[in-house]
Amino acid sequence: MSLLTIDGLNLTIDGKPLVSNLSLSIGPGERLGLIGESGSGKSLTAMAATGLLPRAILPSGSVTLGGQQVIGAPDRVLDALRATVAAFVFQEPLTALDPLLRVGRQVAEPLQRRARRDGRALAGAALNREVLALLEQVALPQPERIARSYPHEISGGQRQRVAIAMALACRPQLLIADEPTTALDVTTQAEILKLIDGLVRERGMALLFISHDLPVVAEIVERVVVMRKGVAVEAGPVREVFGAPRHDYTRSLVAAAKAFDAALEGTP
Amino acid sequence: MSAVAAIARRPRTSLTLWIGLALVGIHVAVALLSLVWTPYDPTGMTGGRLAPPSWAHWAGTDRLGRDFFTQIMIGSRIALIVGTSAVAVGALIGVTLGMLAAFATRLLDDALAATLDILIAFPTLLIAMLVVAASDTASLGTAVLALGIALSAIVARLTRILAKRVLLMDYITAARTSGTSWLGIVFQHVLPNIWPTLSVNFALQFGLAVIAEASLSYLGLGAPPPNASWGRLLQEAQGTVYTAPIGAIAPGIALLSLVIGVNLLADGLRDIADPTRRVSR
Ligand SMILES: Nc1ncnc2c1ncn2[C@@H]1O[C@H](COP(=O)(O)OP(=O)(O)O)[C@@H](O)[C@H]1O
Ligand SMILES: [Mg+2]
Repeated sequence: MSLLTIDGLNLTIDGKPLVSNLSLSIGPGERLGLIGESGSGKSLTAMAATGLLPRAILPSGSVTLGGQQVIGAPDRVLDALRATVAAFVFQEPLTALDPLLRVGRQVAEPLQRRARRDGRALAGAALNREVLALLEQVALPQPERIARSYPHEISGGQRQRVAIAMALACRPQLLIADEPTTALDVTTQAEILKLIDGLVRERGMALLFISHDLPVVAEIVERVVVMRKGVAVEAGPVREVFGAPRHDYTRSLVAAAKAFDAALEGTP
Repeated sequence: MSAVAAIARRPRTSLTLWIGLALVGIHVAVALLSLVWTPYDPTGMTGGRLAPPSWAHWAGTDRLGRDFFTQIMIGSRIALIVGTSAVAVGALIGVTLGMLAAFATRLLDDALAATLDILIAFPTLLIAMLVVAASDTASLGTAVLALGIALSAIVARLTRILAKRVLLMDYITAARTSGTSWLGIVFQHVLPNIWPTLSVNFALQFGLAVIAEASLSYLGLGAPPPNASWGRLLQEAQGTVYTAPIGAIAPGIALLSLVIGVNLLADGLRDIADPTRRVSR
């Protein structure tokens, strides 16, 4: 059974379409890329997948997450569903963490909630240990110091690692990463990408990876869906789609990526 | 974490905070003292009429020969009670309404926002006067309730805007994804994040409330005698402001020092509540 199935999803605002007739599905452990230019509806699709759309945007069609229909489901049902099935990592490390809470507190929160759901008590020293272990897993140096810090006291790349740790704390079956490396410098980008790749494999999580950057997506996923102006123009395994693009838009993406690579290597 | 502990742990607390604490502290001390002791009986003839300040009467006497300093002390008590309670009423109603609007469906939110905009267009004092007029007796309680209701529209609008901005943050979506309920979001993330801005606004409103109560009393709609509110003192001093200016100056200074003190205190406390504003360690 698939973890997330989107079937004929339409999103509209004031009657105007934002996403039209979109379908995709992700099974356990699968890694799917959602690629497309800015404003093509990638983030909205991810929000719709978890039932977290802004209220002004109306969904129709079908979204099943962990076997539960999301569209039209009450928050009470979705709260429980989201907690165990999916977790988010976002683009902007600045707004990914609550500025008023120490990093340790923020990581402890989902850990505790998860423990409560599993019917075990988690507090005090045991909780502290799990927080530090999690910070270590996302390869943060000096986890004790980071846990005591406020978000503004650590770097953007470190904040993004904390955000990943928080997402892992829920032990989700599906990780949704919405342009998680876009706001970072190139070196940090590569590190975060490697981290996500490793963690997803290690834990057998499914991954929905959203990006406008073809080389980044190609590196980390097995299948892609190419979106343009709210419509999926092409879908399939990475090799097929990027090796032999059928749609003009995909072709232009591939050409742009090649030109960029060539420019980097200094060949005309 | 208590605010006191936070202040104590940080020796380099801003000067603003200490001045604010001192000014408010003096008013609180004087107000408490007035419960058990005043230099004279507030209603008794204690000296000549409109006597200038002297050792016996630090702020002189009013036109009935009552000790002015005694009345200002009692006025401190009333100002503190009115300010605190009116802001508490305004905050309770305002924050609840504003939060509801921020979380509400678009239709309800638009309706609430429009209502608040209309309410805010009315002067605070006018709304307060209407509320007092609607209840047939003027008392301290009605004055407080009236001012609280009048202030709540401003609080509600501010809360709504601030909360909406916080709700757009990714950490809210992340928290929602990890299964935090709406109530959890409000108390864990939204309220703490809007609190620094709200509290500064509450301090402004405290000042507004004290001044508005003075105005209500000035118009005879505030606390009835023997509640010597500063507004009533100012009203009574009006006719004699040229012959005995101290009658207007003394309550004026009292009013000003309290309002300034509360604002400085709020500024200082905000700096403590917000880790990004703290002096770096
Ligand atoms: N809260 C919102 N209200 C109205 N329109 C929105 C909202 N969020 C996104 N949109 C619109 O929906 C379209 C798709 O947005 P988005 O999914 O964020 O794009 P992407 O993530 O692919 O860059 C954009 O045109 C954007 O303007
Ligand atoms: Mg986006």
